Amino acid sequence: MGRGLSRALAVAANTFRETVRERVLYNLVFFAILMTLAGLLLGQLSIRQDEKILKDIGLAAMDLFGVLIAVFIGTGLVSKEIERRSLYPLLAKPLSRSEFFLGKFAGLGFTLLVNLSVMLLGLLLTLGATGRRPDVGLLTAVYPLFLGLLLVVAFAMLFSTLTSSTLAAVLTVGVVVVGRFADVIRGMREVLPGVPQQLTKALFAVVPNFANFDFKSQVAYGEAVSAGILAWVTLYAAAWTLIVLGLGLASFRSRDFQ
Amino acid sequence: MSRAPALLLLLIAPLVPLSQERIDRLAGAFRPQEEVLYLWSGEHVKRLVPGFESLAADIYWLRTVQYFGGQRRFASDKRFELLRPLIDITTALDPRLEVAYRYGAIFLSEPPPLGAGRPEEGVLVLEKGVAALPDAWRLRQDLGFFHYLFLNDAQTASRILLEAAEVEGAAFWLRTLAADLLAKGGDREASRRMWRQMFEQAEEGIIRDNARSRLLILDSLDTADALARSVLEFERRHGRRPARLEELAAAGLWRGSLVDAANVPFGYDATRGRVLIQETSPMWRPE
Repeated sequence: MGRGLSRALAVAANTFRETVRERVLYNLVFFAILMTLAGLLLGQLSIRQDEKILKDIGLAAMDLFGVLIAVFIGTGLVSKEIERRSLYPLLAKPLSRSEFFLGKFAGLGFTLLVNLSVMLLGLLLTLGATGRRPDVGLLTAVYPLFLGLLLVVAFAMLFSTLTSSTLAAVLTVGVVVVGRFADVIRGMREVLPGVPQQLTKALFAVVPNFANFDFKSQVAYGEAVSAGILAWVTLYAAAWTLIVLGLGLASFRSRDFQ
Repeated sequence: MSRAPALLLLLIAPLVPLSQERIDRLAGAFRPQEEVLYLWSGEHVKRLVPGFESLAADIYWLRTVQYFGGQRRFASDKRFELLRPLIDITTALDPRLEVAYRYGAIFLSEPPPLGAGRPEEGVLVLEKGVAALPDAWRLRQDLGFFHYLFLNDAQTASRILLEAAEVEGAAFWLRTLAADLLAKGGDREASRRMWRQMFEQAEEGIIRDNARSRLLILDSLDTADALARSVLEFERRHGRRPARLEELAAAGLWRGSLVDAANVPFGYDATRGRVLIQETSPMWRPE
C-alpha cells in the first residue's frame, strides 16, 4: 500500500511537472491575470461597483480557465500516453494501472490547485492595490470551485479511456454544460407537465449539479458561505468524483493495449 | 524571422494608426453606440451564461452606463431606447445589483436631455428592485421619492416612505418626511429634503451631481420667488411694476444677486410681474 502510494505520487509529481511545462497552461494563467487587471480598469467605468466587478471577474476567470485546463489537459492525460506509446514502458515497470490512473488525476488536481492559488493571490493583490480589503471570504468560493474542477478532471479522464481525446473533450464539455443546467432538468415539469416525475428525478440524479459548486455571486457580495453547506458540497463532490474516477479506472483497467 | 518579412511588417505597421486617424477624422473619434440589442430578455441571456450570471450582469451594467453616457453626450436625438431593456437584463442576471435599480431609475426618470424622461419606467424599475430586495430600505426610500418628485403623487410617496421606515436599519427621518408629505400634500421643502438625502447618500458621480444640480435649482426657484415678492412690494410702494429687476436694487428692495445658481440672469415678465429661470439656463426645468 505504502509503495503503491509512493508510486502514484511519483506519477502525480511527474504529471504536475508535465502540465506546468505545457505552454497552454502558462497562457491560461497569463490570461487570467490579464483579466484581473482588466477588471481593475473596468471597475473604474462602473458606478460604485468596482470591488464587486473585480471579484466577479477574478472568480469567473478562475472558473473558466480552470474548466478549460481540466477539460483539455484532463482528456490528454491518458490518451497522450497511449498515442505517444509512452504508456507501455511505464506499465511494464512495477506500476499498476490504478496507480498510474490515480497518480495522473492527483497530478492534474495539484496543478489546478496551484493555478487557483496563483489566481486567488492575484485577485487579493489587485483588491489590495485598489484600496480594498483583501477578502479572505473569497476562499469559500474558490474551495467549492476546486472541488467542481476535480470532478471535471474525473469526467475528462473517464471519457479519455473510452474514446479519442477530441471526442472526450467534447463529451466533458457537454457534461459540464448539462451540469450547469441541472436546475432546468429539475424544473422540466413546469414547462412540460406531461413528462413523468420519475423521469425528471432520474435525469436529475444522473447529472452532476455543477451549480452546487458555484458560490461566486454570493461571495462577491461579501456574504458568508456556511461551513455546513461547504461540508455537504464536499461530500457531494467526493461521492461524484469517486464514482466517476471508479468508472474511469474500471474502463482503463479493462482496456486491451495489445 | 528573415529580414524581408520584418521590413515589410515595419512598413505596414504605421498604416494602422494612420488609417485609424483618417477614420476618426471622417466618422468622429467618439461615436454614439449603435442602437442594437441582440437579446432582449434577461432570462435568455441568463440561460446562455450558466455559472457566469454575475459577471454577465457586470458587463451589461457597464454597457448600460456607457450607453447612457454615450447617448447623453453624443447622440443628437437622445432617445435612450435601449436603456430600459439594458437595465432589465442587468437586473434579471443579478437581481441583487442594487445600484442598477437606483441609478437605472434616475437615468430613466430625469427629463431630457439629462435622462430619458420616462419616470413611470423608472418607478417600475424601482418596484422590481423592491420586490427583489425587500430589506433594502434605500430602494423603498427612492421609490417613495420618485413617486413624489417625478409623478407628483404625495399620497403614494408617503405610504411607501412609511413602509421604508418599517425596514430594519432604515433612517429615522423617513417617518417625519412621510407625515409631512401627507399633511402638506408636498411642497418645495419636501423636495429639498429628498434631494439632500440623495445627495448625501450618493458617492461622487452622476447621481450626486444630479442631486446637487436639483438642490441648486430649488435654491434658484426660492430666489425667483423672493424676487417676485419684491416686485409686489415695489408695486405696492410705487403704484407700478418695475420695468427691470435692477430697479428693485435701486429702490433698496433687493440686496442679493439677480442671477440664478448657474449665473444666468433671471427672466422677468414686467406685464405680469413674474420672475422666471430662463430657458437658456442649466437651472431651467419644464414645469
